[in-house]
Amino acid sequence: MVSETSVRIAAAQLVGNRSRYTTLSGFWMLVWFIVRRNWLRMLVWLVVLAGMIPLVIDSQRELFPTQAAREAYAQVANTPAVAAMTGLPYAAATLGGILNIKLWMTEAVALAFAVIFLVTRNGRAEEENGRTEFLRSTKLGRHAYSLANWAVFGAFSTVVGLACAALAISQGLPPDGSLLMGASFAAVALVFIGVVAIVGQLCQTSRAANGLASIVVAIAYLIRATADVKAKNDQPLWIAWLSPIGWGQQARSFAENLWWPILLCLGVAILLCIIALRLESHRDLGAGMLPARKGRKSFGAFGRTQLGLTLRLQRGPIIGWAIGILVFAAFFGGVATAMVDLLGGNTPVVGVFAGHSGNLLDGLLSYFVMTTAMIVAAFALQVASAIGTEESTGRIEIQLSGAISRIRWAANRLIVPAVISLILLALGGFVLGATFGSVTGIHGQDPKFAAYSTSFWPSVLLVIAVTMFLIAFIPRFASALTWAFYGVVVLLSLLGNLFKLPSWLVENTPFTTVSKLNANLNVAPLVVLSIIAIVLLTCGLLRFKMRDTKSA
Amino acid sequence: MATQLAIDVRKLEKNFGTVKALNGLDLQVETGTICGFLGPNGSGKTTTIRILLGLLRSSGGSAKLLGGDPWNDAVELHRKIAYVAGDVTLWPNLTGGQAIDIICELRGDRDKKRIDEFLQIFDLDPSKKARSYSKGNRQKVGLVATFASRAELFILDEPTSGLDPLMEAVFTDCVSQLSDEGRTVLLSSHIFAEVEKLCDTVTIIRDGRTVESGALSKLRHLQRSTITVSLEGNAKKLAEVKGIQDLQTENGRTSFSVDPDSLSDALAALAPLGPRELVSTPPSLEELFLRHYSTHGQSELKAGEQHG
Ligand SMILES: Nc1ncnc2c1ncn2[C@@H]1O[C@H](COP(=O)(O)OP(=O)(O)O)[C@@H](O)[C@H]1O
Ligand SMILES: [Mg+2]
Repeated sequence: MVSETSVRIAAAQLVGNRSRYTTLSGFWMLVWFIVRRNWLRMLVWLVVLAGMIPLVIDSQRELFPTQAAREAYAQVANTPAVAAMTGLPYAAATLGGILNIKLWMTEAVALAFAVIFLVTRNGRAEEENGRTEFLRSTKLGRHAYSLANWAVFGAFSTVVGLACAALAISQGLPPDGSLLMGASFAAVALVFIGVVAIVGQLCQTSRAANGLASIVVAIAYLIRATADVKAKNDQPLWIAWLSPIGWGQQARSFAENLWWPILLCLGVAILLCIIALRLESHRDLGAGMLPARKGRKSFGAFGRTQLGLTLRLQRGPIIGWAIGILVFAAFFGGVATAMVDLLGGNTPVVGVFAGHSGNLLDGLLSYFVMTTAMIVAAFALQVASAIGTEESTGRIEIQLSGAISRIRWAANRLIVPAVISLILLALGGFVLGATFGSVTGIHGQDPKFAAYSTSFWPSVLLVIAVTMFLIAFIPRFASALTWAFYGVVVLLSLLGNLFKLPSWLVENTPFTTVSKLNANLNVAPLVVLSIIAIVLLTCGLLRFKMRDTKSA
Repeated sequence: MATQLAIDVRKLEKNFGTVKALNGLDLQVETGTICGFLGPNGSGKTTTIRILLGLLRSSGGSAKLLGGDPWNDAVELHRKIAYVAGDVTLWPNLTGGQAIDIICELRGDRDKKRIDEFLQIFDLDPSKKARSYSKGNRQKVGLVATFASRAELFILDEPTSGLDPLMEAVFTDCVSQLSDEGRTVLLSSHIFAEVEKLCDTVTIIRDGRTVESGALSKLRHLQRSTITVSLEGNAKKLAEVKGIQDLQTENGRTSFSVDPDSLSDALAALAPLGPRELVSTPPSLEELFLRHYSTHGQSELKAGEQHG
C-alpha cells in the first residue's frame, strides 16, 4: 500500500514537472524516489557488511597478537582450500593480509549479490508488476528510471566500500591498503551492477534476472577459484583475469596496492551499462530481449492438480538450484582431495574444519556436505516462500475461492520443497562423494556420503517450517525475516568460530548440530530438529487457516 | 416471504485494525435473481465479497451463503460458487489456458467444451503467457473460467474493468444467459448502465453501510424524473405545481424535475400549455448515486427499505 502510494506521488510530481522532455527527464526525482523506498534495505546491508570488518580485525588481532604469530601463520596460510574458497593468500604476515584472507571474498560476493537483488528488485521486478509502466506514462525519460536505479546502487556500493575502509583505518590498518580494500569491494559490485543491468534487459521476470545474474557470479567465483588453486607462488593462473571477482582480488590491498584493476572494473561497469542502455532503447517496456515463448493451451491431468501446478510453477528454480547444487558438490569433492594431498599436519586454519573430531579430512568433508545442505535449504526456503508470494500478489484469492481448504493448499506447496530437498541432499552427497572418490581412489563411498548428506534433512525441514511459520504469523515481513533467519544461521554455522562466538551457539545451529561424517551418528539433534520443525509447521498451518488472507 | 435467499448478509462488520471497512452492511440476494452491488471506491464491496468467499473473517454481524457459513463451510460452498475479481492476477509464466484449467479444476467443474466455447466468445488466445496479457485480457481469463462454470451462484466483483465496449456487451449477454438459466448473480459494479440493464435488485452501499436496496423498478419510482418539453404557453405557471422543482427555460425549452407522486399533477398542468416534443428521462442509477454520495444527508429511504 505504502509503495503504491509513493508511486502515485512520484508520478504526480512527474506530471507536474514542466521541464523539457529528454530521455533523462526525472532522473533526480527518481533517485530520491528509489532511495526513499530502499533506504532501510540499504542500511541493513551497510551495517552488516561494514560491521563485519572491525569484528574480524579484532578477533584476528587477538588470534595472532604478535608479528611472530603472524609470520608463523603466513607459512601455513596458503592451502588449496583457502585458495579455492576465500582466495589466494598474500601478505599473510600482516593484519590487513589476514583480514583479506578471512573476509575479502565474503564481503565482495555478498555485496555483489546485494546489488544484484536490489537492482533487480527496483528494475525488472517493478517493470514486471507494471509500476514502471505507470511511471513511464508520465514525463519520465526512457532511460531515467534505469539510470537512477543503477546510480543509486552504484553510490550504495561506494558508500559500503568507504565505510569498510574507514572502519579498517579506525582499527589501525594502513590507510592506503584500507581504502583500496574498500574500493575493491565497491569495484566488484559496480561490475555486477553492469551485469544485472544487462540481464535486466534480457530477462522478462525478476526471478529469471536474479537467477541469470547469480549464475554469472557463480561462474566468476569458480573461474577465480580455479585460478587461485592453480597459482604459482602468490600469482594466480591467468584465467583470474576472466573474472570480475578476480580483478578485485588483483588490487592486492595491503600488499602491492594496485589501483588500476579498480579502474578496469569501473571501465567495464560503464561499458556494460552503456550496452544495457542500448538494449533498453531497442525493446518494449515490459518485454525482455529474450523472446517469451508461446505456451501450451491447457494443462494435462497432472498439471491441473495442486502438486502438478506447484511443480510447474517451481520448475525453473528446481532445475536451476539442482544444477547449482550438483556443481558445487562436485567442486567441493574436488577441493577436498587437493587438501588431502597437501595438508599433513595440524594448522590453525584447518582447526576450524577439523573441529573436535580431530580428523581433518572428515571434518573438512563434513563442512563441505554441510555447506551443500545449506544451499539445499536456501532452495527449499525459496520454493516454500511461494506461499507468501501467492498471497501478496493476490493469486491466492482465485485459488482459495475454489473448493480447496487452506491447509491442503499450503501443504501441497510445502511437500514439493520438502521432498525435492531430500532428493537434492542425497544427490549432492552422492556427487560430492563420487568426485572425492574419483580423485583419491577411495571408491565406493558415494552411498555413505549420500546417506550422511540426508542427515541434514531435518535441518532443511526446519527452514521450511520457519518459512511457513513466518508467513502465517508475520505475512508482511515474512520473506525478509525468513532470509534473515537463514542468513544468521549460515553465518553462525560457517563463520561463527571466526567471530569468537560462544561454542554452545556455534556448535548448535540447525546445521552444526548434525554429527560429523564418520562420527557416531547422534540421533538426538535430528529428533529435536524434527520436533521443532513439526511444532512450527503445525502452528503455522493452524494460524494460516485461521487468519484473513492478506492481499492487495 | 418464502423465497430463498442465496446471500443473506445482516449488520456485517469488518475492521482492519482501526479502519472500519464494513459498518453494519446488509445485503440480500434471492435465489435466481441478479443483484447489483453498487458503491464508490473504498465503500466495502470487495471486502464484503471476500468475507462471502471465506477469505476474510467478519468482525460482527452475520453472513449466510447458500444456507451455509462462508467461513466454516468454505470448501463445500465453493463447489457451488464461481468468482471473478476486478483485478485478476495470474501466474506470469503460465498461459491463460493453463490458468483457466487450474481455476476450473479447483472449483471442481472443469468442462473443456464450455471453456473452449467461452474462449471463442471472448476472443482470447489461451496459448499466450499471462505476463504478456493486457489488463483486459487478464480479466477475460477470469471471465472465461467463471462463465464456463455450472455454479449456482456467481460472484462478480467489478468484472468488466479493462474490457472494451464490445467485450462489455459480450459480458452482458453472458450474464443474461445465466439469469435465463435461473442462476443467482451478485454483480458488484460502478458501471450503472450495466447494472440497470442486468439487475433485478440493487443494493447501494457507502462507507461500509447499506444506504439503499430494493428492486430496481421500485427504486426508480422513488426518484425524480427529469422532463424536458417545448411549450406554447407560459412555463412560469408550472412553478405553482406542487412537486415540480428545478424549473428552467432556455431557448424555448423548459425542463424541470418532478417526483413520481406528483407526476399526474404535473402532466395535468402541462396539457393546457400546449406541450410539444416532451422528453421524460428516468432517473439513472448515476443520479441515484449522485444523490447519495454528493449530499451529506442520509437516505430517508433507508429504514423502510431494509428487509426483515
Ligand atoms: N486489508 C486491508 N487493510 C486495511 N484496510 C483495508 C483492507 N482492505 C480494504 N481496506 C479498506 O476498507 C475499505 C473498503 O475497501 P474495499 O472493500 O476494497 O472497497 P471497494 O471494493 O468497494 O472499492 C477501504 O477504505 C479500504 O481502504
Ligand atoms: Mg473493490
